[in-house]
Amino acid sequence: MIDLTQILQSLVNGVGVGLIYGLVGIGFCVIYNASGIVNFAQGVFVMLGGMVCHTLLTRLGMPLIVAAILSVPVVAGIGMIIEICVVRPMWNRGAALFAIILATIATQIMIERITILTLGDQPRTFEEFTLGGPLKIANIAISYQLFWILGCGALMVFLLFLFFTKTKAGRALRACSQNREAAALLGIPVHHMLLLSFALSAGLGAVAGILVTPTQYTAFNVGTPFGVNGFIAAIIGGFGSAGGALAGGVLLGVAQAAAIVVFGAGFKNVAALSMLLVVLLMFPQGIFSAFKGSGKGH
Amino acid sequence: MADANSPALLSAEGLSSFYGRMHALKPTSFTVRQGELVTMLGPNGAGKSTLLRALMRLNKAEGTVVFDGHDVSKLSTHELAELGMIMVQEGRGLFGQMSVRENLVLGAYTGRSGSGIDSSLDRVFTLFPRLKERFNQISSSLSGGEQQMLAIGRALMAEPKLLMLDEPSLGLAPRVAYEILTTLGNLNKQGLGILLVEQKAPLALKLAQRVYVLSLGRIVAELPAKEIKSHHDLAQYYLH
Repeated sequence: MIDLTQILQSLVNGVGVGLIYGLVGIGFCVIYNASGIVNFAQGVFVMLGGMVCHTLLTRLGMPLIVAAILSVPVVAGIGMIIEICVVRPMWNRGAALFAIILATIATQIMIERITILTLGDQPRTFEEFTLGGPLKIANIAISYQLFWILGCGALMVFLLFLFFTKTKAGRALRACSQNREAAALLGIPVHHMLLLSFALSAGLGAVAGILVTPTQYTAFNVGTPFGVNGFIAAIIGGFGSAGGALAGGVLLGVAQAAAIVVFGAGFKNVAALSMLLVVLLMFPQGIFSAFKGSGKGH
Repeated sequence: MADANSPALLSAEGLSSFYGRMHALKPTSFTVRQGELVTMLGPNGAGKSTLLRALMRLNKAEGTVVFDGHDVSKLSTHELAELGMIMVQEGRGLFGQMSVRENLVLGAYTGRSGSGIDSSLDRVFTLFPRLKERFNQISSSLSGGEQQMLAIGRALMAEPKLLMLDEPSLGLAPRVAYEILTTLGNLNKQGLGILLVEQKAPLALKLAQRVYVLSLGRIVAELPAKEIKSHHDLAQYYLH
């Protein structure tokens, strides 16, 4: 018999992991909006966030906060390298978007192999940002790391909102998402915007990876599940909408957690894919786009 | 206003463009002088839009283009815009999910306006007061005429040296089209170089100093606008 505490506990856990999916989903949206490309290497940024942070901690002996902060620009730089070395040459040669999307899958596999060769294939983790805990409220255990995930997730969304609405670069990126030709005709360097979108997207993935690693582990192969779930979150929210992706991530995380409690751990992915199927059948533009009556937006 | 002795603002030599294997614009040469309003006329499919797209490097193009004394043949679209070549696309090319304000502010992206965004906005609102009333409205919710005003206003925010417009009167009520084309005429009188592409527009011909006629991807005639009446076949097609 499932008791209420068990359900509430799983919901809390689901919200935490769902926010991570949401951040990954936003990463998908940022690149998609700027270019129409679905970057299937998005999950690899989550893996790299955790791996780079762990490496800076253990090999260079940096304090956790410094390692975490430094990891984000490092992974953002890797995102920019992917844009420059893989996406841009294909884009400039007029490759079909489908071919570019396939190239991002190849990139993910390549980065995973490089990670095995350089950092090894063993899972690793690091301590939570705030030691102690978990916090107990009416028999529900809430890890302090969940508060970090909630806080940083909210902060990321707020900063993204400010970036897209208040800054020249953010407005230019939105302009590219709506009409790349018109943007170029106003003097907006569309290629630079694509580079910026990869940096932003990789940085978001890195934040997600750094936040989630203390609650589980990171390894060369964690990118794929995070990438797939982030992709589903973005679709549920209405591909292209950052707010929708975040909400889609939370819904997905909660649905997976509920499925684990009710049916068992083996049903986690069944729940995710069933939810995707139901959403696609009922709201082909995503749940939140259906309510907004629009497919895009920040 | 320009006269025959005004220096060239834009000159194209052997400009051509392809759509796949189709030679949509055959090697074409033309000029727009400083402060001149030039109209490109031609029936549907004559290559007018292709010519503008080739100029702005939205299509692959060959040939030499000199703008304001600089060879700009190898520059990309955004670099041309930075130099002051600003084009208003057919269909207006607005950012439909953004407000009128955001569209206008993006017009000043290159920062060419030395006088600042606020004074550029004031100038646009003087020309198109309706945009001020719609300032915070989403641009896709504007009427067709207001959208065209916004597209032109946004282009003016960039303080262009040459303003190129692809069929700005298309799909507009005659009164609105008259209002917009008259505004363009006034801008030209203030010294702005304008290259106007139209299919049939008696008013555009009245405003223009010179006319090029395109047919099947090449320029077939060049004449001062006031002489078009004396060419019976052209006058019959384009003035009525």
